[in-house]
Amino acid sequence: MMDDIRFQDLADAWGGDTRRWPEAERASAEAFRATHADRAAAILTEAQGLDVLLDRAPRAEASAHLRARVIASAEAAGLRPRQPLFTRPAAWLSGAGWAAACAAGVLFGVQMTQGLHAQLQADSVLYQASIPAYDDLEVLG
Amino acid sequence: MSRVDDPDGDLVSRVARGDSAAIQALVARKLPRMLNLAQRMLGDPAEAEDVAQEAMLRAWKQAPRWTPGQAKFDTWLHRVGLNLCYDRLRKRREVAVETVPDQIDPGPAPDRGLIAADIGKRVEAALQRLPERQKEAIVLCHYQDLGNIEAAQLMDVSVEALESLLGRGRRALRAALADLKEQTE
Repeated sequence: MMDDIRFQDLADAWGGDTRRWPEAERASAEAFRATHADRAAAILTEAQGLDVLLDRAPRAEASAHLRARVIASAEAAGLRPRQPLFTRPAAWLSGAGWAAACAAGVLFGVQMTQGLHAQLQADSVLYQASIPAYDDLEVLG
Repeated sequence: MSRVDDPDGDLVSRVARGDSAAIQALVARKLPRMLNLAQRMLGDPAEAEDVAQEAMLRAWKQAPRWTPGQAKFDTWLHRVGLNLCYDRLRKRREVAVETVPDQIDPGPAPDRGLIAADIGKRVEAALQRLPERQKEAIVLCHYQDLGNIEAAQLMDVSVEALESLLGRGRRALRAALADLKEQTE
Protein backbone atom coordinates (compact mmCIF):
# COMPACT_ATOMS: atom_id res chain seq x y z
CA MET A 1 0.00 0.00 0.00
CA MET A 2 1.49 3.30 -1.08
CA ASP A 3 1.70 6.09 1.46
CA ASP A 4 1.78 9.85 1.20
CA ILE A 5 5.58 10.03 1.34
CA ARG A 6 6.14 7.55 -1.48
CA PHE A 7 3.53 9.27 -3.67
CA GLN A 8 5.30 12.58 -3.05
CA ASP A 9 8.72 11.07 -3.85
CA LEU A 10 7.43 9.66 -7.13
CA ALA A 11 5.90 12.99 -8.17
CA ASP A 12 9.06 14.87 -7.17
CA ALA A 13 11.20 12.61 -9.34
CA TRP A 14 9.07 11.61 -12.31
CA GLY A 15 6.79 14.65 -12.52
CA GLY A 16 3.05 15.19 -12.50
CA ASP A 17 2.17 12.77 -15.30
CA THR A 18 1.73 9.36 -13.69
CA ARG A 19 2.22 7.64 -17.07
CA ARG A 20 5.93 8.45 -16.67
CA TRP A 21 6.15 6.77 -13.28
CA PRO A 22 7.71 3.29 -12.95
CA GLU A 23 5.21 0.76 -14.21
CA ALA A 24 5.61 -1.43 -11.12
CA GLU A 25 4.24 1.35 -8.90
CA ARG A 26 1.53 2.83 -11.09
CA ALA A 27 -1.26 0.58 -9.81
CA SER A 28 -0.60 1.34 -6.16
CA ALA A 29 -0.20 5.03 -7.01
CA GLU A 30 -3.61 4.99 -8.65
CA ALA A 31 -5.02 3.27 -5.57
CA PHE A 32 -3.55 6.04 -3.37
CA ARG A 33 -5.04 8.62 -5.72
CA ALA A 34 -8.45 7.02 -5.43
CA THR A 35 -8.40 6.92 -1.63
CA HIS A 36 -6.60 10.26 -1.01
CA ALA A 37 -7.92 12.32 -3.89
CA ASP A 38 -7.28 15.79 -2.44
CA ARG A 39 -3.76 15.06 -1.22
CA ALA A 40 -2.83 13.28 -4.45
CA ALA A 41 -4.22 16.16 -6.54
CA ALA A 42 -2.21 18.72 -4.55
CA ILE A 43 1.02 16.74 -4.99
CA LEU A 44 0.44 16.21 -8.72
CA THR A 45 -0.49 19.87 -9.30
CA GLU A 46 2.76 20.96 -7.66
CA ALA A 47 4.78 18.57 -9.85
CA GLN A 48 2.88 19.60 -12.99
CA GLY A 49 3.81 23.21 -12.27
CA LEU A 50 7.47 22.35 -12.72
CA ASP A 51 6.68 20.21 -15.80
CA VAL A 52 4.99 23.21 -17.43
CA LEU A 53 7.93 25.42 -16.60
CA LEU A 54 10.42 22.93 -18.03
CA ASP A 55 8.39 22.85 -21.23
CA ARG A 56 8.98 26.59 -21.61
CA ALA A 57 12.62 25.89 -22.48
CA PRO A 58 13.04 26.58 -26.21
CA ARG A 59 13.07 23.65 -28.61
CA ALA A 60 15.79 23.57 -31.23
CA GLU A 61 14.47 23.42 -34.80
CA ALA A 62 16.44 21.62 -37.49
CA SER A 63 17.15 24.14 -40.25
CA ALA A 64 16.56 23.27 -43.91
CA HIS A 65 20.32 23.53 -44.41
CA LEU A 66 21.01 20.98 -41.66
CA ARG A 67 18.34 18.61 -43.01
CA ALA A 68 19.84 18.87 -46.50
CA ARG A 69 23.33 18.17 -45.13
CA VAL A 70 22.11 15.11 -43.25
CA ILE A 71 20.20 13.74 -46.25
CA ALA A 72 23.26 14.27 -48.45
CA SER A 73 25.37 12.41 -45.88
CA ALA A 74 23.17 9.33 -46.37
CA GLU A 75 24.35 8.96 -49.95
CA ALA A 76 27.93 9.66 -48.92
CA ALA A 77 27.59 6.81 -46.41
CA GLY A 78 26.71 4.45 -49.25
CA LEU A 79 22.90 4.43 -48.99
CA ARG A 80 21.99 4.65 -52.65
CA PRO A 81 18.60 3.69 -54.00
CA ARG A 82 18.52 0.14 -55.31
CA GLN A 83 15.96 0.15 -58.10
CA PRO A 84 14.00 -2.93 -59.16
CA LEU A 85 15.87 -5.10 -61.70
CA PHE A 86 13.85 -4.08 -64.77
CA THR A 87 14.21 -0.37 -64.11
CA ARG A 88 17.99 -0.44 -63.75
CA PRO A 89 19.74 0.94 -66.85
CA ALA A 90 22.75 -1.27 -66.16
CA ALA A 91 20.52 -4.30 -65.98
CA TRP A 92 19.35 -3.73 -69.52
CA LEU A 93 22.94 -3.65 -70.66
CA SER A 94 24.14 -6.52 -68.58
CA GLY A 95 21.28 -9.02 -68.44
CA ALA A 96 18.24 -8.46 -70.54
CA GLY A 97 20.33 -6.40 -72.93
CA TRP A 98 22.64 -9.30 -73.69
CA ALA A 99 19.66 -11.61 -74.09
CA ALA A 100 18.02 -9.20 -76.51
CA ALA A 101 21.27 -8.83 -78.46
CA CYS A 102 21.61 -12.61 -78.70
CA ALA A 103 18.00 -12.98 -79.86
CA ALA A 104 18.53 -10.30 -82.50
CA GLY A 105 21.68 -12.03 -83.67
CA VAL A 106 19.96 -15.38 -83.96
CA LEU A 107 17.04 -13.81 -85.84
CA PHE A 108 19.42 -12.03 -88.20
CA GLY A 109 21.35 -15.23 -88.75
CA VAL A 110 18.19 -17.22 -89.48
CA GLN A 111 16.90 -14.56 -91.84
CA MET A 112 20.28 -14.38 -93.60
CA THR A 113 20.41 -18.16 -93.91
CA GLN A 114 16.87 -18.21 -95.23
CA GLY A 115 17.77 -15.45 -97.69
CA LEU A 116 20.86 -17.31 -98.92
CA HIS A 117 18.86 -20.53 -99.16
CA ALA A 118 16.15 -18.80 -101.20
CA GLN A 119 18.80 -17.28 -103.46
CA LEU A 120 20.40 -20.68 -103.97
CA GLN A 121 17.00 -22.20 -104.66
CA ALA A 122 16.22 -19.50 -107.22
CA ASP A 123 19.60 -19.95 -108.88
CA SER A 124 19.09 -23.68 -108.92
CA VAL A 125 15.57 -23.36 -110.38
CA LEU A 126 16.85 -21.07 -113.13
CA TYR A 127 19.69 -23.46 -113.82
CA GLN A 128 17.44 -26.49 -113.85
CA ALA A 129 14.92 -24.65 -116.03
CA SER A 130 17.58 -24.27 -118.63
CA ILE A 131 17.94 -28.07 -118.71
CA PRO A 132 15.15 -29.83 -120.55
CA ALA A 133 13.01 -32.52 -118.77
CA TYR A 134 14.18 -31.77 -115.32
CA ASP A 135 11.42 -31.65 -112.68
CA ASP A 136 11.41 -28.45 -110.59
CA LEU A 137 9.98 -30.43 -107.72
CA GLU A 138 13.22 -32.29 -107.36
CA VAL A 139 14.98 -29.01 -106.69
CA LEU A 140 12.35 -27.17 -104.64
CA GLY A 141 11.27 -30.22 -102.62
CA MET B 1 15.60 -13.05 -25.53
CA SER B 2 12.16 -11.66 -26.36
CA ARG B 3 11.67 -9.73 -29.56
CA VAL B 4 11.63 -5.95 -29.06
CA ASP B 5 8.76 -4.14 -30.69
CA ASP B 6 10.48 -1.28 -32.50
CA PRO B 7 8.28 1.43 -34.04
CA ASP B 8 11.21 2.43 -36.29
CA GLY B 9 12.07 -1.10 -37.46
CA ASP B 10 10.35 -0.99 -40.87
CA LEU B 11 11.65 2.48 -41.61
CA VAL B 12 15.24 1.46 -40.84
CA SER B 13 14.90 -1.59 -43.13
CA ARG B 14 13.75 0.67 -45.96
CA VAL B 15 16.62 3.06 -45.26
CA ALA B 16 19.03 0.14 -45.55
CA ARG B 17 17.64 -0.54 -49.04
CA GLY B 18 18.41 3.03 -50.03
CA ASP B 19 14.75 4.11 -50.14
CA SER B 20 15.05 7.90 -50.44
CA ALA B 21 11.56 8.52 -49.01
CA ALA B 22 12.51 6.45 -45.94
CA ILE B 23 15.76 8.39 -45.55
CA GLN B 24 13.80 11.65 -45.55
CA ALA B 25 11.24 10.21 -43.13
CA LEU B 26 13.96 9.08 -40.73
CA VAL B 27 15.53 12.54 -40.89
CA ALA B 28 12.16 14.14 -40.12
CA ARG B 29 11.63 11.75 -37.22
CA LYS B 30 15.08 11.59 -35.63
CA LEU B 31 17.05 14.72 -36.51
CA PRO B 32 14.95 17.03 -34.27
CA ARG B 33 15.24 14.50 -31.43
CA MET B 34 19.01 14.31 -31.75
CA LEU B 35 19.29 18.07 -32.12
CA ASN B 36 17.28 18.70 -28.94
CA LEU B 37 19.11 16.00 -27.02
CA ALA B 38 22.45 17.58 -27.92
CA GLN B 39 21.21 21.15 -27.40
CA ARG B 40 20.00 20.33 -23.88
CA MET B 41 23.06 18.31 -22.99
CA LEU B 42 25.56 20.84 -24.37
CA GLY B 43 23.68 24.16 -24.31
CA ASP B 44 25.41 25.20 -27.53
CA PRO B 45 23.46 25.34 -30.83
CA ALA B 46 26.49 24.96 -33.12
CA GLU B 47 27.85 21.98 -31.21
CA ALA B 48 24.35 20.49 -31.06
CA GLU B 49 24.09 20.64 -34.87
CA ASP B 50 27.45 18.90 -35.24
CA VAL B 51 26.44 16.16 -32.82
CA ALA B 52 23.05 15.66 -34.46
CA GLN B 53 24.64 15.44 -37.91
CA GLU B 54 27.27 12.96 -36.72
CA ALA B 55 24.64 10.83 -34.97
CA MET B 56 22.59 10.67 -38.17
CA LEU B 57 25.67 9.78 -40.21
CA ARG B 58 26.25 6.86 -37.86
CA ALA B 59 22.60 5.91 -38.27
CA TRP B 60 23.11 5.64 -42.04
CA LYS B 61 26.13 3.41 -41.52
CA GLN B 62 24.29 1.27 -38.99
CA ALA B 63 21.05 0.83 -40.97
CA PRO B 64 22.30 -1.94 -43.32
CA ARG B 65 23.67 -3.86 -40.31
CA TRP B 66 20.61 -3.32 -38.10
CA THR B 67 18.92 -6.51 -36.87
CA PRO B 68 15.22 -5.81 -36.27
CA GLY B 69 13.70 -7.04 -33.01
CA GLN B 70 16.86 -7.00 -30.88
CA ALA B 71 16.67 -3.40 -29.67
CA LYS B 72 14.90 -0.15 -30.35
CA PHE B 73 16.63 1.94 -32.99
CA ASP B 74 15.71 5.12 -31.08
CA THR B 75 17.49 3.83 -27.96
CA TRP B 76 20.57 2.93 -29.99
CA LEU B 77 20.54 6.39 -31.57
CA HIS B 78 20.26 8.02 -28.14
CA ARG B 79 23.27 6.00 -27.01
CA VAL B 80 25.23 7.34 -29.99
CA GLY B 81 24.06 10.90 -29.38
CA LEU B 82 24.87 10.75 -25.66
CA ASN B 83 28.34 9.37 -26.31
CA LEU B 84 29.03 12.19 -28.74
CA CYS B 85 27.83 14.68 -26.11
CA TYR B 86 30.01 13.05 -23.41
CA ASP B 87 33.04 13.40 -25.69
CA ARG B 88 32.44 17.10 -26.08
CA LEU B 89 31.72 17.63 -22.38
CA ARG B 90 34.95 15.80 -21.54
CA LYS B 91 36.92 18.07 -23.87
CA ARG B 92 35.31 21.10 -22.27
CA ARG B 93 36.41 19.93 -18.82
CA GLU B 94 39.96 19.53 -20.09
CA VAL B 95 39.88 23.11 -21.40
CA ALA B 96 38.16 24.39 -18.25
CA VAL B 97 40.99 23.31 -15.97
CA GLU B 98 43.36 25.40 -18.08
CA THR B 99 41.22 28.54 -18.15
CA VAL B 100 39.12 30.18 -15.47
CA PRO B 101 35.52 30.39 -16.70
CA ASP B 102 33.51 33.57 -16.55
CA GLN B 103 30.96 33.63 -13.78
CA ILE B 104 27.46 33.52 -15.24
CA ASP B 105 24.73 35.62 -13.73
CA PRO B 106 22.40 33.07 -12.10
CA GLY B 107 19.29 34.99 -13.15
CA PRO B 108 17.52 38.30 -13.47
CA ALA B 109 16.41 40.44 -10.58
CA PRO B 110 13.19 39.05 -9.11
CA ASP B 111 11.26 42.26 -9.66
CA ARG B 112 11.83 42.27 -13.42
CA GLY B 113 8.91 41.19 -15.52
CA LEU B 114 9.74 38.36 -17.89
CA ILE B 115 8.45 37.70 -21.35
CA ALA B 116 8.05 34.17 -22.66
CA ALA B 117 11.45 34.08 -24.37
CA ASP B 118 13.14 35.19 -21.16
CA ILE B 119 11.41 32.43 -19.23
CA GLY B 120 12.63 29.90 -21.76
CA LYS B 121 16.18 31.18 -21.43
CA ARG B 122 16.00 31.07 -17.64
CA VAL B 123 14.79 27.47 -17.69
CA GLU B 124 17.49 26.51 -20.20
CA ALA B 125 20.17 28.24 -18.11
CA ALA B 126 18.99 26.52 -14.92
CA LEU B 127 19.10 23.17 -16.70
CA GLN B 128 22.65 23.83 -17.88
CA ARG B 129 23.76 24.59 -14.31
CA LEU B 130 22.65 21.19 -13.03
CA PRO B 131 25.27 18.51 -12.36
CA GLU B 132 25.76 16.50 -15.56
CA ARG B 133 24.07 13.28 -14.49
CA GLN B 134 21.01 15.07 -13.06
CA LYS B 135 20.69 17.07 -16.26
CA GLU B 136 21.02 13.91 -18.34
CA ALA B 137 18.29 12.20 -16.32
CA ILE B 138 15.89 15.12 -16.83
CA VAL B 139 16.75 15.45 -20.52
CA LEU B 140 16.10 11.76 -21.19
CA CYS B 141 12.97 11.38 -19.08
CA HIS B 142 11.26 14.75 -19.44
CA TYR B 143 12.42 16.19 -22.76
CA GLN B 144 13.16 13.05 -24.78
CA ASP B 145 10.19 11.26 -23.16
CA LEU B 146 12.00 7.94 -22.85
CA GLY B 147 10.58 5.24 -20.61
CA ASN B 148 12.20 4.86 -17.17
CA ILE B 149 13.74 1.45 -17.93
CA GLU B 150 15.10 2.70 -21.27
CA ALA B 151 16.54 5.87 -19.72
CA ALA B 152 18.10 3.91 -16.84
CA GLN B 153 19.73 1.50 -19.31
CA LEU B 154 21.13 4.38 -21.33
CA MET B 155 22.62 5.88 -18.18
CA ASP B 156 23.87 2.49 -16.94
CA VAL B 157 22.05 2.87 -13.63
CA SER B 158 19.10 1.19 -11.92
CA VAL B 159 15.62 2.73 -12.13
CA GLU B 160 15.99 3.58 -8.40
CA ALA B 161 19.24 5.43 -9.04
CA LEU B 162 17.63 7.24 -11.96
CA GLU B 163 14.76 8.27 -9.67
CA SER B 164 17.26 9.68 -7.20
CA LEU B 165 19.00 11.71 -9.93
CA LEU B 166 15.68 12.99 -11.21
CA GLY B 167 14.48 13.91 -7.73
CA ARG B 168 17.62 15.90 -6.95
CA GLY B 169 17.63 17.57 -10.35
CA ARG B 170 14.00 18.61 -10.18
CA ARG B 171 14.39 19.93 -6.63
CA ALA B 172 17.31 22.08 -7.77
CA LEU B 173 15.33 23.37 -10.72
CA ARG B 174 12.30 24.11 -8.56
CA ALA B 175 14.47 26.18 -6.25
CA ALA B 176 16.25 27.98 -9.11
CA LEU B 177 12.99 28.80 -10.88
CA ALA B 178 10.83 29.53 -7.84
CA ASP B 179 10.34 33.17 -8.81
CA LEU B 180 9.24 32.17 -12.33
CA LYS B 181 6.71 29.74 -11.01
CA GLU B 182 5.01 32.56 -9.13
CA GLN B 183 4.93 34.69 -12.29
CA THR B 184 3.57 31.98 -14.53
CA GLU B 185 0.80 30.90 -12.16
